[in-house]
Amino acid sequence: MRASTRLLVVLLAPSLVLFALLTLYPLLRVLLLAFTDSDYGFEGADFVGLANFAELAEGRGFRRAAWNTVAFAVMATVGEVVLGLALALLLDRAFRGRRLVTLVLLAPYVLSTIVVGAIWRAWFHYDVGFLNTALRGVGLPGVPWLFDPVLALPSIALADLWQATPFCFLILYAGLRSIPPDLHEAARIDGAGTWARFRDITLPLLWPYILIAGLMRTLDSFKLFDKVYAMTGGGPGNATETLSMFVQRLAFRFFDIGMASAAALVMVVVAGGLAAIYARQLMRPPA
Amino acid sequence: MDRPAGPWRIAGGIVAAAIFALPLLWMLGTSFKPPGEYAAASASLWPRHPTLMHYEAVAGARVGRAVVNSLIVTAGTTLLALLAAYPAAYALARLRFPRRLDLVFLVFVLLVKLTPPIVLAVPLYQVLRVLGLLDTLPGLVLAQQIYALPFAIWMLLGFIRDVPVALEEAARMDGARLPRILWEILVPVTAAGLAATAVLVAIAAWNEFLFAFLFLQSPSNFTLPTFIATRINEDETLWGQLSAIGVLASLPVLALIGVVHRALSRGFAGGTTG
Repeated sequence: MRASTRLLVVLLAPSLVLFALLTLYPLLRVLLLAFTDSDYGFEGADFVGLANFAELAEGRGFRRAAWNTVAFAVMATVGEVVLGLALALLLDRAFRGRRLVTLVLLAPYVLSTIVVGAIWRAWFHYDVGFLNTALRGVGLPGVPWLFDPVLALPSIALADLWQATPFCFLILYAGLRSIPPDLHEAARIDGAGTWARFRDITLPLLWPYILIAGLMRTLDSFKLFDKVYAMTGGGPGNATETLSMFVQRLAFRFFDIGMASAAALVMVVVAGGLAAIYARQLMRPPA
Repeated sequence: MDRPAGPWRIAGGIVAAAIFALPLLWMLGTSFKPPGEYAAASASLWPRHPTLMHYEAVAGARVGRAVVNSLIVTAGTTLLALLAAYPAAYALARLRFPRRLDLVFLVFVLLVKLTPPIVLAVPLYQVLRVLGLLDTLPGLVLAQQIYALPFAIWMLLGFIRDVPVALEEAARMDGARLPRILWEILVPVTAAGLAATAVLVAIAAWNEFLFAFLFLQSPSNFTLPTFIATRINEDETLWGQLSAIGVLASLPVLALIGVVHRALSRGFAGGTTG
């Protein structure tokens, strides 16, 4: 072995061992077990072809979890990017105390999701929660935030909006600051109004940042587990059960490892597809 | 320089910050409220008769154990991730790779980033069991490397690339070997980047829930997030104690918010939420 090759191996060895053990081997295991009726490992498991996927596609639990996950991801991502953009535009001017405002806005993002879930579960409490108390205080009826099967998922998305909008805000804020001010100056001299400058300068130049913020939020909300676990446990019924919770239930409560692996495989493929769509948009040369 | 903001903009910024701070202030206030006050459907954020009873109750419970466990897991995860990531990041930044292996490696890092943790949790449960690390803190430290390690490599790569190669060349001329060059030249020069990486990895490790929830079964091994999760479901409205624990779990990460701000502004868009 050449000296430089040996050096490479030595430097990368710790990381490669950890990757192989913790990521590569588990991924391969999921890939193989997804096509078996395994209830623990490979021993005694039979190859069943695509039967697991067929069963998933027919089962209402999986379809509901998939729908919940997609609905949540769309609500959360769109809401967070739009609100984050609004905040970034709002704070894109110098004033005393701007740094403090920025740091306060960032605070929810560094909290544990379980703490966020605990706070919002209390805020959404029907009888004595902060939100309903405030609503009743101004003469409005209380809202069954987490009890109503239709409202529960948007309510959780609202908590997510609080926690993750700061992330989008900071990414887009950094993006705004990368736009040369001369461009806006020149357009202003040419008589372009605020809206025209936003549409023709800010938005096109900010687009890559919007895509990155959107990609990160899509992938993160696709993994959703902690927040739902803390706030509703997947209920009422299975109105807020996500794909992550569905896989967890199959694997750790029913020990149906074959089915759980199949559902997990679907998740990886969909996440990869989503990332690819964003990546294509990012690579596309500006029109 | 930015143009100065008008009064409406300043007011808007302050109102937005106040709205985002509200749930946090509520948690802080509730942790000092006697139970009668928060159960009485009051929308006031601050206690009328402040009490330390929740903090005292919490101090007597098993919270201390959870804090210690969280500290061990956070320190272990951060240390292991940095120790493994630093040489790897150096190799990726400086050495020529046969057949673009470095590109393969970076694609792999992205693949990990988009893999939901539950997908890996199912097979990982069996891996940890075989290793005898199920329901142990070292097992959790190992599991957390799945996300901590690629993130650390990716961040450190940027910091090491910023160091001029000439610095190392001079030392190499003097006959210094690589471990010494790494330790005596590169590590001091990239100390700020190392610290930032350590902080972000530590925050994610401190907050991590899913792996802790699935792999730690004995209550004596619980970390703070798993401990809080069991308390949420124990009593519907035990908000005073829950808030006190929430404040304890949040203070360390809030203290480090400046580092997160700087990292995100530089474009390190690594996620810490789950």
